[in-house]
Amino acid sequence: MPRSRRLFSAGARRELLLPYLLVAPALAVLLALSIYPLLYSIAVSLQQETASGIVWTLAHFKRLATDNFFLTAMAHTFVYAIAALTCEFVFGLALALLLNGQIRGRGVFRASLLVPMMLPTVVVGIVWRLLLNPNFGAINGTLKQLGVNTESLTWTASPRLAFLAVVAVDVWQWTPFVFLVLLAGLQAIPQEPYEAALIDGSSRWQTFRHVTLPLLKPAILIVLLLRTMDLLRVFDQIFILTEGGPGFATEMISLYIYRTAFRFFDFGYAAAMSFVLLALTNVVSVIYIKLLHREE
Amino acid sequence: MRLRTLVIFAVLVLMVWAAGCAQKQSSTKQLTLALVEGVEGEALKQAALDYQKQTGVQINFAQFPYQNLFEKELIDLNARTAAYDLIMLDDPWFPRFAGNQFLAELTPLLIKRGKSEPDADFVEASVNVCRFPYHTGTLYALPYVGNSQLFFYRKDLFEKNGLKAPSTWDEVLAAAKTIQEKEKGANGGKMYGYVMRAAQGNAAVADFMPIFWAFGAEMFDSTGKPAVNSPEGIAALEFMLELGKVSPPGYASFNADEVSAHLLQDTAAMSINWPAWISAFSDPARSKVIGKIEFAVLPDGRKPGQAEIGNWLIAIPRYSQNAEAAMDFLLWATTAEQMKRSALRGNPPTRKSLFQDPELVAKFPAYPTQFRSLSTSRPRPRTPQWNEIENAFGIFLSKANSGELSPTEAMNQANAEIEKIIQRGR
Repeated sequence: MPRSRRLFSAGARRELLLPYLLVAPALAVLLALSIYPLLYSIAVSLQQETASGIVWTLAHFKRLATDNFFLTAMAHTFVYAIAALTCEFVFGLALALLLNGQIRGRGVFRASLLVPMMLPTVVVGIVWRLLLNPNFGAINGTLKQLGVNTESLTWTASPRLAFLAVVAVDVWQWTPFVFLVLLAGLQAIPQEPYEAALIDGSSRWQTFRHVTLPLLKPAILIVLLLRTMDLLRVFDQIFILTEGGPGFATEMISLYIYRTAFRFFDFGYAAAMSFVLLALTNVVSVIYIKLLHREE
Repeated sequence: MRLRTLVIFAVLVLMVWAAGCAQKQSSTKQLTLALVEGVEGEALKQAALDYQKQTGVQINFAQFPYQNLFEKELIDLNARTAAYDLIMLDDPWFPRFAGNQFLAELTPLLIKRGKSEPDADFVEASVNVCRFPYHTGTLYALPYVGNSQLFFYRKDLFEKNGLKAPSTWDEVLAAAKTIQEKEKGANGGKMYGYVMRAAQGNAAVADFMPIFWAFGAEMFDSTGKPAVNSPEGIAALEFMLELGKVSPPGYASFNADEVSAHLLQDTAAMSINWPAWISAFSDPARSKVIGKIEFAVLPDGRKPGQAEIGNWLIAIPRYSQNAEAAMDFLLWATTAEQMKRSALRGNPPTRKSLFQDPELVAKFPAYPTQFRSLSTSRPRPRTPQWNEIENAFGIFLSKANSGELSPTEAMNQANAEIEKIIQRGR
């Protein structure tokens, strides 16, 4: 066969292969560190060790429906996420609107607001555990000086106050993040629509409702999505602050999954729970995206 | 371009060669120890460094905080990576490790060395937790640190109020009420009669078990079914709540640190505690109650008082490549001579002779009491599923103490959960 009849020359073939070669290392790493463990954990969630060896079964997923600890932890996680997200969004938006305008000391406010976000969550947990200590802590100490009876303010030992505390700590730490993203979103809005609204004689509320909010929607979507995913898998600050207690009052699904795998040595059941959490997180994300894109 | 490629290639070759050399060096005898952070692990580490000097066996350490040690060991043993040749373990973990066939049998290794049994000088209660099944089964570990619970109380306040040393739980409660009523704590603040840890999990269960047992309750009946909601069990929990009324607010989330802080800061008069805290009470930097605390054995109830045992054990993983060398070190580290050095650092021994050693008794006056407590101590129920049972039981104890559930409800729900865990079995 004459050389010229070949479909590709040697050089052209090399060029065709090059992109694959360049992507190969990244692909290999992804396969080894992400895809393989994912497939493996699916297998683990469908296996059970019995006296006669490993069998394939749906037992772990069936157990989910009857496990009070799992159902309660899941409910706690969602209540926690909704409560924290609502507060963070409202406070974050309010702060962003406030500091978007021309007020004195804007720079100082902005900088100091970011401090909590810079702290590692483990440190936040430890700091708040000390602050909330019912007998030696700074919060009850201050209240006592102000003449408040702190006898019943046991914080991490009272089921309701403990839940309130874990929500408050997350709001304290992550409102700045919401604020930051929304502020960036606000500053990206051009002046023209506002000028047009002014000429049309719209009120401040109307301007906010019909100009600011729609134009801020991409930023809102991003920040809600990121915070929701973070809140649903919250671990460190609660693990340190309450360890899920008192009793089961602040137990979140991620803590229960951790315990099941690394304390109770039941990797199959832990994997099954993780997949349920993954699925629910995905559903929530899709809902967000649908809701916020609908009006466009 | 060419030159740079060549240089990189040369460097890579050198690195591989260097790694190969490092591998070769390691063919001399080497042992890797998994240790807990804190005084228990530190003592074994120092012993290992001495051993290295004497014998030339190279010893590596992997040291972890208590909270992480269990999972690190579990993951390694389960994956059979044989990363460790000796592991320190807390005795409640032992049934999981031994039950899953993760540990090497020690008897054959003892026989090779002309012995058939662990030294008779070890406290029986301590050797019993090294066997699986408990007491009668195969030997998989040796006891290194002989912790068991003690009852701490304020001798001065008892004397001042004409109270006799508490020997029953009823006396404890009565004394706690008297002291709380009549005494003031540090800086004129409140003095609480009692303090306990009732945070869910290990803490609540550890402080409850001595009361539970003293009331005549058992976690499992004679057929192995859970029985925590027996009348005795419920009565024990009701009594715990009575003690809670004379404990500082918030005790339902307390751990060891908070309990000891209350005793050290002169704001509580009694508690169950572990020997590791004894030394803190004579440390002027931490203690406002130097010389005022007495250490006693656990109070009686309907049955004689029994402490929970909490020994540190040392075992050899089944897949260790150096079991022989590991056994030599294990026997050496648990000799009376070496254990005395660990005891001088503050770890209670597991040998009878050392509890009577004059030098040690002079330094640690509570030794006779500790020995009585340890010899009569009881282990937590010996099942591989203990972590899971303890977690469930602790959640319901904590719920009762924080007022979420009545004692009867808490015990009924705990019993149902424990039954589920047992039935699932694994």
